[in-house]
Amino acid sequence: MKLKTIMYGSLAASLLSTAAVGAEDLKIWTINYTSDKQVSALTAAEAEFEKRNPDVDVQIVMRGTDEHKTALRVASGSDTGPDIYAYWAGLGLGGEYVQAGMSADLSKYYESYGWDDRLTVPSLAFSESFAEGKHGIPFRFSGEVVYYNKGLFEKAGIEGEPANYAELKEAAGKLKEAGIPAFTFGGTVNWHVMRLMDVILETTCGAEKHDALMAMESDWASEPCALEAFTEMKWWTDDHFLKPFMGIDNRQSTTLWFADRAAMMLEGDWHVPTIDENSEMSKYGMFPFPTGTGRLYGFAEYMYISTKSDHADLAAQFLDMFTSDEFQAEHIGAFGALSVNRNVKQGDDALELHKEWLDVFANAKGTFVNGDQAFPLDVTTEYFRIINELASGNLEPQAAADAMAQFIANR
Amino acid sequence: MTNMDLFQTPRGQAIVLMAPALAVYSLFAIWPMIDVVILSFQDWNGIRENRDWVGLQNYHHILYNDPVFWVAFRNTVIWTILSVVFPPLLGLLLALGLNQRLIGRAPLRAIYYLPVIIAPIAVATMWRWMYDPFFGLFTQMLTDMGLSRWIVDWLGDKEVALYSIFVAYVWQSVGFSMVLFLAGLQSVDKSLIDAAHIDGANRREIFKHVTLPALRPTITIVLVLSTISSLKAFDIVYGMTGGGPAQSTQMLALWAFTQSMQIFDYGRGSAVSVVLLAITLVIVVPYMRWSQRREEEAR
Repeated sequence: MKLKTIMYGSLAASLLSTAAVGAEDLKIWTINYTSDKQVSALTAAEAEFEKRNPDVDVQIVMRGTDEHKTALRVASGSDTGPDIYAYWAGLGLGGEYVQAGMSADLSKYYESYGWDDRLTVPSLAFSESFAEGKHGIPFRFSGEVVYYNKGLFEKAGIEGEPANYAELKEAAGKLKEAGIPAFTFGGTVNWHVMRLMDVILETTCGAEKHDALMAMESDWASEPCALEAFTEMKWWTDDHFLKPFMGIDNRQSTTLWFADRAAMMLEGDWHVPTIDENSEMSKYGMFPFPTGTGRLYGFAEYMYISTKSDHADLAAQFLDMFTSDEFQAEHIGAFGALSVNRNVKQGDDALELHKEWLDVFANAKGTFVNGDQAFPLDVTTEYFRIINELASGNLEPQAAADAMAQFIANR
Repeated sequence: MTNMDLFQTPRGQAIVLMAPALAVYSLFAIWPMIDVVILSFQDWNGIRENRDWVGLQNYHHILYNDPVFWVAFRNTVIWTILSVVFPPLLGLLLALGLNQRLIGRAPLRAIYYLPVIIAPIAVATMWRWMYDPFFGLFTQMLTDMGLSRWIVDWLGDKEVALYSIFVAYVWQSVGFSMVLFLAGLQSVDKSLIDAAHIDGANRREIFKHVTLPALRPTITIVLVLSTISSLKAFDIVYGMTGGGPAQSTQMLALWAFTQSMQIFDYGRGSAVSVVLLAITLVIVVPYMRWSQRREEEAR
């Protein structure tokens, strides 16, 4: 009896191992997502694709942000690595890999699957930006706006949402008079304070000059709007930030905002579920930072197919399923207010601020990306340093503009 | 002599025993070090297949154009000086105290040594929370004592951030020096102390003329180890501030890591590493040779 069991067991094991050898592996690398909804969406994608393709074993590897970046860098120098990798779409991040030839041209898949007709225009903006052909497919497009505490605005005597930059500054003045800091930011994660600098640059420079500065085609030292932006930034950090802020991170800053310690935060559409989980949605309102250009501040995350993948067709099939009407509808809201699929809309049961987001996306006249997505990594690091020095009162606006120009010149 | 005979000689056996370790060490320690030196003369972003030879450009950049390198250099020097003075000094004082016949001496030794075995990144997390400017332990204590005006942004103010980290480092590392000094104190010849007593020496004189000279080898070891570990200070700074605010707590080791693994400029990161290695060798090698000579003269 025992011998029989062993024999059948061995037979089953050998059959299973034969099946495993026959199976195709599809390796997908992505960052760790904190929201349960996002993790569920990825897990569901894995299960759904395996159900549709019984011979395929999908392996989704999630890592911390820095670990993901490092793993991808190591993989780029070896023959192993993922078939699909998720990355931010800006020049300094996903764009670098596109330029380095690590991302496969997906033009034929765009054509055969009709992705151009399926996906929203703003989310597709990066697919042709960095090399010939089409690279990557967007799975998330995030916008960032100002969220405000209605009660604190009322307490400071602010009527209505600021329609332009002058009104926003006026509101900040009223808040200060009422003893309320206008904004809260966390300085330890450099990109949080950076957001304010990004939108101020858009405000003082306008779209064209701002883009030229971020592309390092314009001189930061001699461009008056850059100096003006640093001067404005100093105005905000000197008197209108909840202090201290350099020693806390974005999460502590959010906690303080929920505790009514400051009136406004500059956050993305991912902030809406956070509000829903931590407070009363009705307490808060939102408006795009009044830059005057009408462009939406935000960034996209893409999934790229590696040029080293032996399963490019299979990978494209997965991406097609992930961005399909059915899958996106099932996981609406998981990766932000707006699906990258133009046929998928939030229902009536959507969170209140998510509904407002749909108007923000609809009314946007183009987009501009976060500084850390626009610059190469070394310039981003210096951009962070200069903003933090200015915000800490250790650097004057002109010196900040000069330092930025000098670093770019010396690269 | 046959091969078998060779393996039976002490030298042959030594070679056989050392060979596997030497092979592993060469592959994972010696070769990477050589490769870092080579990389410091090259331009490579980790993606390109080819590394371009750029001569001394990386060194020129970090020495003349990098706004952070000299901040990191200055911080490393300050950190090293403080590390060579405070943890060994406090460790010696603790060791002298705990070398006496005290009630609860063994548990006290364990308590003081405990932080050494905690992972630096855990120490960093603990202290980061204690330093929180809104809800942290120090802020709460000062508020309760009515000393709110003394509250500062411990890790966010560039004037104090480095020293705030250093306090956490001292808390973590002082037990290590203490244990080495305790071991050193066991080797002090008791008959010499008794003889000094008979000759009428007081406690201070005994410490100065008997204990301290006997501790010289231990002091050398403690100082060399403190210097080396402070020059490569990384984890606790990375965990507490990541080099911020505005790169004001950057250290050379952390800056080499940042350049290589976050900015992905392996050439410049390697150049910073080589400079750090050179500084370490310049400080440690002469000191070790000098102290070795003194020990030989004393015999």
